[in-house]
Amino acid sequence: MMNRFNHLPTLKVDTAQKIAFIYKGKKYYGVKGDTVATALYANGIRIFARSLKYHRPRGLYSLDGECSNTCMEVDGIPNVRCENTLLKDGMVIKEQNVKGSAENDWMSFLDKLDWMMPAGFYYNVMHKPAKIWPIAMKQIRKAAGLGKISPDFEMPGKFDEIFLNTDVCVIGGGPAGMMAALGAAQKGLRVILMESRPWLGGFFEYRSSQYKEGETLHNRAGQLAKEVESFENIRVFTHTAAVGTYNNNLVTGFQIGKKDDVFNERYIEIRAKSVVVAAGCIERPLIFDNNERPGVMQINCALRMAKTYGLLPGKKAVFSIGHDLGLEAALELHDLGLAISCIADIREDGQDPVLLKKIQDKNILFLKGWVATKAHGRKLVKKVSLASVDGQVSKTFDCDLVVASAGMTPVTGHITVAQGTLKYDNHTGFFLPDQMPDKMHAAGRLLGLNDPLSIEASGMLAGLKAAFDCENCSIGEIGEAKKALENLPGPVRGTKLVTAPVKGRKSFICFDEDATIKNIKQAIEKGFDVPELIKRFTATGLGPGQGGIPGHNLPLYVAKYQALPDISIRPTNVRPPLVPTLISTYAGVNHKMFKITPMDEMQRKDGGIFRNIGVWQRARYFSNDLSCKKEIENVRSNVGMLDGSTLGKFRIYGPDALKALQRVFVSDMSRVKQGRIKYSAMCNDDGCMIDDGVVIKQGENDYYFTTSSGRAGQTAEWIRYHTRYDGWNFALVNLTDALGVINISGPNARKVLEKVVDIDISNEAFGYSEYKEFKISDTIPLRAMRLGFVGELSYELHVPSSYMKAVWLMLKEAGKEFNIQNFGVEAQNVLRMEKCHIILGQESEQRTNLLDVGLGFLWDRKKADAKTIGAVALHQAEKDQTRLKLVGFKMENNSRAPRDGALIVDDKVRGYIATARDSFSLNEAVGMALVEAPLSKIGTRLTIFEDECGDDRIYGKVVEMPFYDPEGKRMKM
Amino acid sequence: MKKLQRVSPVVFKSTPLKTESRDNWEVVMEYNGEGDGPYLVDLSHRPRFDLQDSNLAAQKPFGILIPETPGDCVLENGILANRMNRTQVSLFNLDADDTVSMPDEPGYTEVTESTLCVALIGKNVFSICEKLTALDFMDQLRKAPFLFQGPFSHVPCQIVTLNKAGDKSGLILTCSRGYGRDMIDSILHAGEEFGLKPAGESRFAKWIKEL
Repeated sequence: MMNRFNHLPTLKVDTAQKIAFIYKGKKYYGVKGDTVATALYANGIRIFARSLKYHRPRGLYSLDGECSNTCMEVDGIPNVRCENTLLKDGMVIKEQNVKGSAENDWMSFLDKLDWMMPAGFYYNVMHKPAKIWPIAMKQIRKAAGLGKISPDFEMPGKFDEIFLNTDVCVIGGGPAGMMAALGAAQKGLRVILMESRPWLGGFFEYRSSQYKEGETLHNRAGQLAKEVESFENIRVFTHTAAVGTYNNNLVTGFQIGKKDDVFNERYIEIRAKSVVVAAGCIERPLIFDNNERPGVMQINCALRMAKTYGLLPGKKAVFSIGHDLGLEAALELHDLGLAISCIADIREDGQDPVLLKKIQDKNILFLKGWVATKAHGRKLVKKVSLASVDGQVSKTFDCDLVVASAGMTPVTGHITVAQGTLKYDNHTGFFLPDQMPDKMHAAGRLLGLNDPLSIEASGMLAGLKAAFDCENCSIGEIGEAKKALENLPGPVRGTKLVTAPVKGRKSFICFDEDATIKNIKQAIEKGFDVPELIKRFTATGLGPGQGGIPGHNLPLYVAKYQALPDISIRPTNVRPPLVPTLISTYAGVNHKMFKITPMDEMQRKDGGIFRNIGVWQRARYFSNDLSCKKEIENVRSNVGMLDGSTLGKFRIYGPDALKALQRVFVSDMSRVKQGRIKYSAMCNDDGCMIDDGVVIKQGENDYYFTTSSGRAGQTAEWIRYHTRYDGWNFALVNLTDALGVINISGPNARKVLEKVVDIDISNEAFGYSEYKEFKISDTIPLRAMRLGFVGELSYELHVPSSYMKAVWLMLKEAGKEFNIQNFGVEAQNVLRMEKCHIILGQESEQRTNLLDVGLGFLWDRKKADAKTIGAVALHQAEKDQTRLKLVGFKMENNSRAPRDGALIVDDKVRGYIATARDSFSLNEAVGMALVEAPLSKIGTRLTIFEDECGDDRIYGKVVEMPFYDPEGKRMKM
Repeated sequence: MKKLQRVSPVVFKSTPLKTESRDNWEVVMEYNGEGDGPYLVDLSHRPRFDLQDSNLAAQKPFGILIPETPGDCVLENGILANRMNRTQVSLFNLDADDTVSMPDEPGYTEVTESTLCVALIGKNVFSICEKLTALDFMDQLRKAPFLFQGPFSHVPCQIVTLNKAGDKSGLILTCSRGYGRDMIDSILHAGEEFGLKPAGESRFAKWIKEL
């Protein structure tokens, strides 16, 4: 294990606390605060993975997870970004995308075959002849892709979610972000501050440069963080990456949990009145040959390795940089013991003279207008070639570390995802925000600022602008903050160089997809002249780094290669999530929210097998015999109980209640008589049936009606919508959950019920299609209906939900002598099918109208058309002979029932099976089908096609409906 | 004859220490291990009514003046009146010592059975809420009591915030009775990290008296 510095004030590791982990089966130690990547690095691991296409060795590069170089398998989870993942005790880490090992990968020969794989080679090569493609595709997919996961892998860990509201959301916890948060918070606003690293401080946090006299940037970061944390109205979320920004300032992100948190990761959704984006800059990668060879890393990576994690990133280094940060890093690392052979600065001038003086004092070779052209070494960097920017002169230096960076580039994803636009700025060399989205403000380094005081002032200005959005700040105050910023140094001049003077065959613009400068040239030569097209043709920026590496280099290079007079082209679109995370994090806790009936617990105890049906969980079976033979036979010959509580139930009352009912039901609802039940249906404007149920008049201008279970949630809105212009005075109350429903059915139903109730329920006193209200035990109010959905003597009892258990137990007790049994939804389905009673959604679909299913008799044609929804369409449909008709059928030769949804065919599809079952009541297979009119004649032979039946067909014959008790005597007994 | 027992849609796993029988409801007054808060209290047995009228201004349910603006609420004499929209108000009888009956007038419907009703009271109440809903309880423009009609754990709810002040915070939530099991599970799960525990009605009675 490498020695660590332990004296630096900027350190975020505790070298005294060791953490053990397993890498490739061997035990290693990191320290508290390490990421997986730094722990591996500390243990001498330099090659973390192999690249996607060419299997080139890859190592530490950005330390912020900007590319897939350090994606590894951690605790069985592939593609873990090791630079961003804190080391935990006992972690098991493996390489991925290697055949053999990352050190010695058998597939590395592919690197020599790059000439066979030019840009877009999939499109050009593998489909000629076309039959090659399926074979080639399989091989490519085997070779490519990062990580493997078993289909039955269960994600370990806890995933949570929170939904926050705030006045101001600040993205970025660096100096600008913290100042913005303070600015808004001082105005009394609620502020949320999101920082992707585990601590606040951003660009200041790890630097020892002077902030002002006697104070380092690191100290200043600490001061600001303390101040931020002292405000009760600022909520700080560290280790929280903002991954999406949407309309109306919705910001999404995910937070990595700390040791004591109840979550491993949690999804965060923030609704803000105003947003400040202070996401800072990343480095623009320097493009030269082998620019991704392990040992090449960015300035911040090298500097933070030492300052944050206490690790010297190499022994002997060459710097090829284009920003003063590179000079600062070289000096700091030199002081910490890194030998520096040379600093090559792309810039001819413009360097900070103080830094230059220090470099000179330390006798470090400094070359202005020079750049790295090639990193040498088969697996790791051994030396590097430098050349003058014009490529005329070159030198080579031995080294094990190349610190390379073309300069800075702003992190603008949060702005562009929210539909803000960017424009190239010639001074900074940045794509700067041009038009900001409404109530979103940019601050800090992403505006090109580099001076610490300017960065802070821009943060304060953005914070006040956000406060103004929340109507808590005056224009005058904003003017003052603006003036303060204008009096400070403005944006710094940036470097323009994109690539070193190289041909580019091994100069990578995108590490994730192994896309080189040569590939970009190939794409442009094929006519793909804008970044969006090139991105798709070369896959540049499509990898897990979300375009972090190619980012702004791609449009700059495209502009340069085509010698465009100005850089009018734009970076490619980035999309959420801006930082990759786990799908489990998006799934969150995933509470299952289902409704249960008051009988849920009782039915489970009775052996009910439950299924999710719409929003409800219902007992579908009461044994493992899914044909429900016993349940069905018990209802036909004895008595059964069904929990029908899911039925929609409504009260509608008021002077215009009847008018509303007339509007939505097809029947004449004025004929609903007290004490009687009226069955009717609702249609939509196309005459298609959307609901059915019964209506009861329970008083003057006061009705009670039921709807199908699936439709109950929409009924009230449906009625209100269709009466919205009438100004009628009526009220609706949804009583679906207020009342449970017990359906007691079978020839012995009356014998059971009469033991429980005190009223006369003989056929004479309580006949078919009648309705009664009474009390059980003088206490429990009941609404009882004589219905016959399952084709037997049946009572539907509507009971207050809290009393459902009591009534259910009474009926069970009363039914003991008859051996009363439960029956479930599937048994009910078969029973009603034998009776040819329809269920919407089963015997109908979106296009099925009232007439198609044979319920035209419900429609009162004398009602004025405009007053009944769907009536106009039904008038037209009556003359239409091309519509499907619902028919009953029996199977030929006593064969089995076809599957629901099977097709009726001849040389075309002529209809489909709605419901079909082997009927135990009839001892044959029967069903209902929707077929074209010519096939609906009694006796027509139906040819039935089922999934995967090949050339085999089964046959049925159209018969009269209903199949069971056609005279309806049993339900009226 | 066996005693008729009404069953609440809310079931807690905690052991009741003290119960009271009221209108066939077995009301738990205190649970074992209620902790220091926050608390989740089942109020599903408390009478609740729906009142609809095209001229609500003319109505004075239980002598209470109905708030004019939808979303506003008033708590008077143990009755919480929540203005839902132009024509509708929900009424919760929260005072266990003064149970009221539904007025015998046409616009009223008893909806006690329609919904579950719980109170979420004590410290960190809104930290629990933000794990389950995007509704903004801490909006400085909303003065308690106020009504939200919106999703809570993905389920349409009526939520009345009665107090927003620190440890005294509290709200009442109602939703379709059928969601009882899953709603309680999700609230208790969300509140686990904050020490949320089921509590008896006494805890709520004390809390509301201190409002």
